[in-house]
Amino acid sequence: MASTASPFPFPHRFPVRISFFAGFAVLTVFGLVPAALVLVASFTDLRGLPGIPVNFIGIDNYRSFFSAAHLDDNLNALKNTLVFAGVSTVVQLALALGISVLLNRPLRGRAFYRSVVFMPTVLGVTVIGLVWSLMFNPSGGPAAKVLSWFGTDSAFFGDPKLALALVTFVQIWAVVGVSVIIFLAGLQSIPEELYEAASIDGASGWKRFRLVTLPLLAPSITANVLLGVVNAMQSYQLTYVLTGPSNKATQVLSLMVYVQGFGGTSGTTLSQSQGYAAAISMVQFVLVGAIVVVTMRYLRKREARL
Amino acid sequence: MSTLTSTSTAAAPAATPSGRHAGGRTRPPRRRGRIWLYLCVAAVLVLFLFPLLFLANTALKSNAEFASNPVGLVHSPHWSNFSQAWSKGNFGSYVLNSILYTAAGAGIGTFIALVMGFPVARGYIRGGKVWRAVFALVLFLPNALITQFQLLLRLHLYDNRLGYILMVGVGVGVGPLLFSGFVSSLPRELDEAAAMDGVGYWRYLFTFVLPLARPALVTCFILQAVWIWNEIILATVLLADPTKFPVTVGLYAFKGTYGNQWGLLAAATLIVAAPLVIGYLFIQRYLVNGVLGAVKG
Repeated sequence: MASTASPFPFPHRFPVRISFFAGFAVLTVFGLVPAALVLVASFTDLRGLPGIPVNFIGIDNYRSFFSAAHLDDNLNALKNTLVFAGVSTVVQLALALGISVLLNRPLRGRAFYRSVVFMPTVLGVTVIGLVWSLMFNPSGGPAAKVLSWFGTDSAFFGDPKLALALVTFVQIWAVVGVSVIIFLAGLQSIPEELYEAASIDGASGWKRFRLVTLPLLAPSITANVLLGVVNAMQSYQLTYVLTGPSNKATQVLSLMVYVQGFGGTSGTTLSQSQGYAAAISMVQFVLVGAIVVVTMRYLRKREARL
Repeated sequence: MSTLTSTSTAAAPAATPSGRHAGGRTRPPRRRGRIWLYLCVAAVLVLFLFPLLFLANTALKSNAEFASNPVGLVHSPHWSNFSQAWSKGNFGSYVLNSILYTAAGAGIGTFIALVMGFPVARGYIRGGKVWRAVFALVLFLPNALITQFQLLLRLHLYDNRLGYILMVGVGVGVGPLLFSGFVSSLPRELDEAAAMDGVGYWRYLFTFVLPLARPALVTCFILQAVWIWNEIILATVLLADPTKFPVTVGLYAFKGTYGNQWGLLAAATLIVAAPLVIGYLFIQRYLVNGVLGAVKG
């Protein structure tokens, strides 16, 4: 530590400390403290209404999470979370790789194409949710129209078998641009000579992709997988807008925190069991942490092998 | 154009020396390849643009026209959808709220990135490694809806504009990490020269570092601003009074009331989306920098 700290050039250290710790205080009180207190709250019978005494009840909330009464719902949400995160990460990765290789070719107007793919990042879940509700409107939306040419129809988000797949699709649509940007940066750092050398050695287009592009993109792939998994495991705002807070077919863990803690309606029902909701938060947090550690290990190993 | 020459890497290099004469022989496969490329690009464009164009198309339809012709191109544009949606949905006050929350929240977050990121990057504060770990930690916090709500409740900041602003303000994300990474590109000699001339730390930070680091700070600000502008769950949980709702909650509520009048609803969605799409043209560069900077960090 002392080696990185250079001689301090300014006459006084206290202004540095004052502004630094002022910023840190705000960050702590409103950011770090609530995050840390989730763990504490998960061991209490905290309720939404103010003025009710709060008692420590040990691991009752966790026991309740795994109890017969809740297990079905929770396993369902757990399964949805994992399917949603797994499928959206994998498809997003594959799609982003395809699009970025495409947009890395010297095409006319490619800056514009890149902008278009990246645009959903600014639109936000509410707008995106409404746009796709309109696209998948069961009575006469474009998707319904296409199905009608084949003589069938669908309730889309209203169909429990289809809803999760559609939410996953919209999630991919919304965030694939970020992966594309990361891949494009990776692709541009691959020296052109490598491709030329590979062509001279007689490598075909596919071989060049597999033997030059993919190995050299390994860091971008790692970044994208991690970003995708963490983002998808914690994403629930889109689900909330598309299918509502308590739709069993698309229920995910982080949305359950909201439903359990706030009853799914705007701040008015304050008698919910928030200790239990905090316990769900912790279960999810541990799950995300475990998945991140495992994927990171795997990807690092893979990167080292290549 | 120069684009054609650089694609030659895709064709066998042995063909290029004779390519000028035997152009007729080597061209067709290449041209077919290009057609495929542009077809793929067209498919991507349709996937990303069609939903928005369809939204705009729907926004111009009256209820009657939507009922008789929900998918086709609009016949008689019903422009009054926009003014109706605007006044019925009370979007004026929602937009003002959103502007306030976004400007103040992202301002707080960027300020935190500045006052914390600079001394950590320079080693002017003890425990550099620990602080860097804190900057990374803020990216991986658990879902704290419950405790955020309880904290504001106990501080009497529930259903309070300031409370919500503080909560979204500390959602700094990659800001401090990004900014401290940028600071290392500013020459250290500048600090020493300024100090030698008797410039104090604060004056230095706000009148020298701030303008020099403007691109990085703008990136931090915009990344957080986009997040706050689109935030809906915290606003639903922390605010109860509809006059304080941001535009996202307003739009969601509008959907609840006018859910079956798609023309009106699409117009309302477009009202919310249009500033984002227009603003996007100007902030895209910063967003891309932010994403790439975050990955490096």
